[in-house]
Amino acid sequence: MRAYLSVFGMRNRMELQYRGAMLGGILCQMFFGIVLVALYRALYASRPQPVPIEHIATYVWLQQAFFRMIVASDPDLLDKIRNGNISYDLCRPLDMYWFYYARIAAQKLTGSLMRGIPMMIFAAILPRGWGLAPPDSLQGLIFGIFGLLFGLLCVCALENITMAFTMRTLDPRGIQALLNLLMVTLSGNILPLTLFPDSWQKVITALPYAQLLDGPIRLYTGDHAVSDAPRIILVQASWTVVLIFAGYNLWRADQKRMIVQGG
Amino acid sequence: MSYIEVEKLNKSFTVRKKREKGRLFREKEIVEALKDVSFSVERGELVGYIGPNGAGKSTTVKILSGILTPESGSALVGGSVPWTDRREYVRHIGVVFGQRSQLWWDVPIQDSYSLLKDIYRIPLPDYESRLRELSEALQLEELMRTPLRLLSLGQRMRAELCGSLLHRPELLFLDEPTIGLDAVSKLALRDFLRSENKEYGTTIMLTTHDMEDIAALCPRVMVLGHGRKLYDGGLTELLERFDKNRTVSVRYDTEEPQLELPDSVQTVVRNGSDVRLTYSPADIPTAELLTLLQRAGRIQEMTLGSENIDHLIAAMYREMDL
Repeated sequence: MRAYLSVFGMRNRMELQYRGAMLGGILCQMFFGIVLVALYRALYASRPQPVPIEHIATYVWLQQAFFRMIVASDPDLLDKIRNGNISYDLCRPLDMYWFYYARIAAQKLTGSLMRGIPMMIFAAILPRGWGLAPPDSLQGLIFGIFGLLFGLLCVCALENITMAFTMRTLDPRGIQALLNLLMVTLSGNILPLTLFPDSWQKVITALPYAQLLDGPIRLYTGDHAVSDAPRIILVQASWTVVLIFAGYNLWRADQKRMIVQGG
Repeated sequence: MSYIEVEKLNKSFTVRKKREKGRLFREKEIVEALKDVSFSVERGELVGYIGPNGAGKSTTVKILSGILTPESGSALVGGSVPWTDRREYVRHIGVVFGQRSQLWWDVPIQDSYSLLKDIYRIPLPDYESRLRELSEALQLEELMRTPLRLLSLGQRMRAELCGSLLHRPELLFLDEPTIGLDAVSKLALRDFLRSENKEYGTTIMLTTHDMEDIAALCPRVMVLGHGRKLYDGGLTELLERFDKNRTVSVRYDTEEPQLELPDSVQTVVRNGSDVRLTYSPADIPTAELLTLLQRAGRIQEMTLGSENIDHLIAAMYREMDL
């Protein structure tokens, strides 16, 4: 366990090295945030929607703040698989799945907190209806944070499945392009899931992608009542277990058929 | 029973080739990387493992370090099978892949070591004394706080070696560890490996193309070619078989000496008063050649020597049809 925590800590330290990239990321996400909010305001001006605009603005900002958690792969890990440096990792007395899971978790958590916190502060000082609104209730906030943690566990499991596929294809681009598309659409990053038709939402919110950010954000905004929280967290936890189980077995199969090429 | 017992190891890879024009499917070719390779190594031995590029050396190392699973055959190292007991097994081995890196690119090497400490569960006092010992021997003290990306190739190699030895492995695989090292670092590295072997009885399997490394370190060598083991025994015995030629370098007092030599003697260099020749004592006895050389003029300086070790190995590979 200590070893995995140590890997987690190490990857955190590495993430903190890239402060320039962080600044760039923040500016980019702020730009997207403002453009998206302006777009929804224009939409609302012509035809008001059932969900209040304050909720939508908050939704957009939280999505942007945690963008890094949703779509960002660890480039070093992918390189390791491509260039064969993974050989060394295979010579460690560790379980490969959890070894990489710890790395991914560190990258996603630290990466998104480093960007997310400054962005949430920025969004909070914007005028009402443009920026981040305060949480609907204290319980909503607490359950939201709790849900976010489960979302993190879930997204790491998804990412580790991408890694397991990369072990087979050696190139992550195909599977990444496919999964990122699913990810940004079905997690509500492009269009808030609250704005999808109700019948679609029934299906989409049951998928793992909706558990990453959509569930926690809606607890925060109050779209989901606090009484719904146990159900939402239960769905998240079930998906996490399923995805970890799938990833774990993919990795095990990979290790049996794996070939490290070259000298 | 020996420490390492390898019995009839086989491994092949499928290589898909580019589709030829007019064919529907790509052609598959099966490359047999290892064919019935067997050997045994005693605890504390220093074994050199040589062979031309693509002979299967790295494949053997990968199998013995638990990364690859062979198609057939068995291997036991200290009583465990590397690829089935991987997690427990790798605790006791150290590996250096000369072409790859295990340390973290962007962080000081010290931090990478402390991660390895946690991975191998090395107790802190033990870790500290071992790190001190290794950093002294490998001259790493001043580099400890430097991120890996700022180190030169040779410094990096030494840092990698330190990382592989922290947990005091009883078996060490070195896959081309001297790539890119300068002469001083190379000599230091050899001394270091020798003392590790002597002091802690570490078994070392060394794969390299640098024959000087082998000559300096390994009393025993195994030659691998096309996936088969071709030779296993002492390095001196191996070289004697191919060590047939001698070289002689002569400097005359006079410019352009008039040399008349039989065809069996080959002139390698001829530059004014300097001449370098290779000959085989079987074709022309040394005494006879010397008489011929003296007849050509007054000799100022002369050295006799055996052929360069790389030439010998090249001759050996040729003879073994590799």
